[in-house]
Amino acid sequence: MRSRRIPLTIAAAAAASLVLASCGGGGEDDGATTGTLDFYTNKAAWEPDFDELNAASESGADITLETTGYSDAGQYDAFIKQSFRTDKSPGLFTWQTGPSLAELVDEGLIAETTDIWTKAVDEGWVSPDLRDSYTFDGEQYCVPMNIAYWVMYYNKTIFDEHGLQEPTTWAELDAIAAELAGAGVTPYYQTSTLFTFQWFQQLVAGTDPELYDGLATGEVEYTDPRIVDIMNTWLDQQEAGWFSDAGSTVDPAVGLKQGDYAMINFGSFFNGSLDGAGMVSGQDYDMFVIPAVNGDLEQTPVAVESGPLCVAENSAQKTLGLTYSEWWMSPEAQSAWSEARGDVAFNPEATVADPMLEELGSTVSGDGYRLFDRYYEATPTPILTVALEQFGAFIANPSDPLPFLEAIQAEADDYWADQG
Amino acid sequence: MSDTTPNPRARRRREPYRRPALGFIAPGVLLVAVLLYLPLVWTTFLSLTEYNGLGDPEWIGLENYVEMFDDPGFVGSVLNTLLWVAGTLLVPVGIGLGVALLTWNLKGGTWLRLPFLIPYALSGIGVGVIWSFILSGDGALDQALAAFGVDDTPRWLVDAPLNTVVMILATAWQGVGVNALLFTIGLQSIPREPLEAARMDGANGLRLFRSILWPMLRPLTAVVVGLSIVASLKTFDIVQGMTKGGPGRDSETLALTMYKETFVNSEYGLGSAIAVFLTVVTLLASILYLRQQLSSKHGV
Amino acid sequence: MPFKHTARVFRTAVLAVLGLVWLLPVYLLLVNAAKSPATFTTKESWLPTDFALFGNIAEALRLSGLAESAASTLLYAVVSPAIAVLVGAAAGFAIVALRLRHGFAWFVAIFGGTVFPLQMILLPLFDAYSRTGLFDTQAGMIIVYTAISIPFSAFVMRNFFSGIAHSVFEAAVIDGASTWRIFARVYLPMASSALVAIFILQATFIWNDFLLGLVLSQSDTVRPIVTSLAGMQSTYGGAQMSTVLAGGLLVSLPTVVLFLFTQKFFARGLALGQY
Repeated sequence: MRSRRIPLTIAAAAAASLVLASCGGGGEDDGATTGTLDFYTNKAAWEPDFDELNAASESGADITLETTGYSDAGQYDAFIKQSFRTDKSPGLFTWQTGPSLAELVDEGLIAETTDIWTKAVDEGWVSPDLRDSYTFDGEQYCVPMNIAYWVMYYNKTIFDEHGLQEPTTWAELDAIAAELAGAGVTPYYQTSTLFTFQWFQQLVAGTDPELYDGLATGEVEYTDPRIVDIMNTWLDQQEAGWFSDAGSTVDPAVGLKQGDYAMINFGSFFNGSLDGAGMVSGQDYDMFVIPAVNGDLEQTPVAVESGPLCVAENSAQKTLGLTYSEWWMSPEAQSAWSEARGDVAFNPEATVADPMLEELGSTVSGDGYRLFDRYYEATPTPILTVALEQFGAFIANPSDPLPFLEAIQAEADDYWADQG
Repeated sequence: MSDTTPNPRARRRREPYRRPALGFIAPGVLLVAVLLYLPLVWTTFLSLTEYNGLGDPEWIGLENYVEMFDDPGFVGSVLNTLLWVAGTLLVPVGIGLGVALLTWNLKGGTWLRLPFLIPYALSGIGVGVIWSFILSGDGALDQALAAFGVDDTPRWLVDAPLNTVVMILATAWQGVGVNALLFTIGLQSIPREPLEAARMDGANGLRLFRSILWPMLRPLTAVVVGLSIVASLKTFDIVQGMTKGGPGRDSETLALTMYKETFVNSEYGLGSAIAVFLTVVTLLASILYLRQQLSSKHGV
Repeated sequence: MPFKHTARVFRTAVLAVLGLVWLLPVYLLLVNAAKSPATFTTKESWLPTDFALFGNIAEALRLSGLAESAASTLLYAVVSPAIAVLVGAAAGFAIVALRLRHGFAWFVAIFGGTVFPLQMILLPLFDAYSRTGLFDTQAGMIIVYTAISIPFSAFVMRNFFSGIAHSVFEAAVIDGASTWRIFARVYLPMASSALVAIFILQATFIWNDFLLGLVLSQSDTVRPIVTSLAGMQSTYGGAQMSTVLAGGLLVSLPTVVLFLFTQKFFARGLALGQY
């Protein structure tokens, strides 16, 4: 009996696997334009804000979001990818720009939003620059959910105590860091897990934007002498004691509040965390756009992170999701969202609650600034994973940068070879 | 069934309760097979393919396994995992046995055991946060040590392999109570007569433990050790919560490597290969251990 | 006997000291969950600074929508381990008392369900669940939690039963009892402390589960409590540390109470004395 039963079990299991493997998920678009829309997001912490927004979307578009939040980015991505194969294919979900959105678009999984973008750009609701991040082969996909500029936050009390002003050049920033370090205050925050890339990104893009772009496309190697030089600058700063304890797990907002460090390079969504930690915007903390390392650059590069809001092509709620996306771009939707979330708005006609963020938005849209994609989105994932690890190892034990760069380049070589 | 046992009568004599026995075991086997094994078959299939979560998996044979063993980070991950296995057997199992023995037959023992059980009852979310708070640079532990004049403390979560060791201790904090509870059940199932007899003979302390308690505890020791081996090989949550395997890959375990390849890099094939490797190792370790522990009794 | 008395005092003292060490992190958890996020610092971890515990709990409830998840989580945490304990005991009974042939192989087959990392079965399970209509249903959650609890339950029960002399079974057979009756009336009552232990350990595990709830459910009424709670922690402007701790503390209350109330089952001599 055993001899017969085992192959039978295996056969049954294999058959079940084939059912799992067989394609053709998704549902028929039911065409509804009003009702309840299932919405999935990897920014679970924003769930209350989306719920708050429902009041506006119910009166503005007669759509209510039913939000499901995920807190682990990796599992969220896997879940969304898997759901395209089932009838749970999402009517609205958040994603990230760059190669991971391109991958979904290439597979034909994302509903096109070209008409929505054309209308929004015509109405002056969104800058044409932002459209580039959402354009693939001349068509647009998804709409921007949030936008964040990566700037330098600082503890105002510490700056005032030492009579420091916001720097306008890189030399001034260096002088501030040197003075703080001399006075026994750690200038910059750093961590050895996950968010290990900011300073590298800032140094490279601020030195030479083309060098930065070249890293993302594989034209520049991580072992390029110019990159090595930049890393040595970072190493010098590490050795001068400019960065915080890599072993500290203190929440960055609390760390800035209690003066563990004077400055922190973070996305403009950080206002919310600082407010939550009991700091007052403009009074206890403020921010400045980090000056370019190379003073000769015509425009100061500013890292930007933008999270898209997408609709699955094969979702039963495709029409509903697109209707919501269209409403989302409007000034009233963006004003309501900025009110609920307290973040910068991509729509210049929207009112932004926090004056500091309002000002940041108008500053970076000026001629003197150039937006570039954050390293996290610009870098192909396998290279990013290794780079985050290597930067983390460098931060934990700063030393000759070449071995770290070689490890990243080895992965990059593999990746670009695969891409043919 | 006649092909393995030609003489039905002989079989019936050895196994008079085959039918009811199959009935009793069927629900467990079925539920486990359908919900846990079927997905595993899918994983095994994926480990032989190249798959990014979209489209269809592409058959590549054993390439993922070759790539897996080629990765120097994988070796480090295996070593860290072995450290977890050894550490988990040493600390939580040892202390758990100690607590069970100390509270056994002790007035108020039930209540003295409670402090060890409470950490298990606490939600993993609070526990993860509080331990990174304790082990942070200038965190609660460093502050406590400073009060005793110890200022030059190591970077608990940064310096390898210290970071793995302190995470094992944090896990032990949560796991000791469960082990103590299981050992207590074992102690309770020991019949009184042989104990009394041994006591009459003057057996005490270590001798009583070695001659009576330890052999009688064997079934539950097998449970505790078996579960510890399995759990430690799968270590994920605490490392992901505290160091994310870093800095670099210094504290990565196999489960983390698997997670990273699958969910972060979308290399489902490679991730599945690591999962299959981990499963085979765990299963072999458990079978070898349990066979030796269980087979001598009752012939099962 | 003075010696015995000294030993007793010594044992109590060792346990008390070790127990206090064990409670230190719990103390830190309580003290810091009570601090107001606005004044919170990590400089004085060991000292209570202010008492904002209830405000923090309220904030955690608001952010995570915990209240809606509580009832369904309770359902999962009671029903699934209860079924799993019985199913596991039945398997152990079949292997040990009924001496099922190839018992070790059957045992390994069930135990094997626990050896691979949970992360690996999530996506196939999600796929299967959404195809069979079990996705985002309470029945679906109960089934998966039951299955996941069975290997542990079977493992403990099999080993616990193996400590019972087979003559107990033979005596019951001579009395003319059916196998079902022997299982329900003889073996289960003997194993009450083991059954309770498995039940509370698995109920706690399910109550604290995060992963399965994350992938197999979606609506607030089906999602388990910790999955909702975990969503609060985020780089993107999540809850403050003291709020997370307060939320963690709140969801831990039922399991801590459960452990308190089941302690009497583990008092001495309840198990096998009479057999």
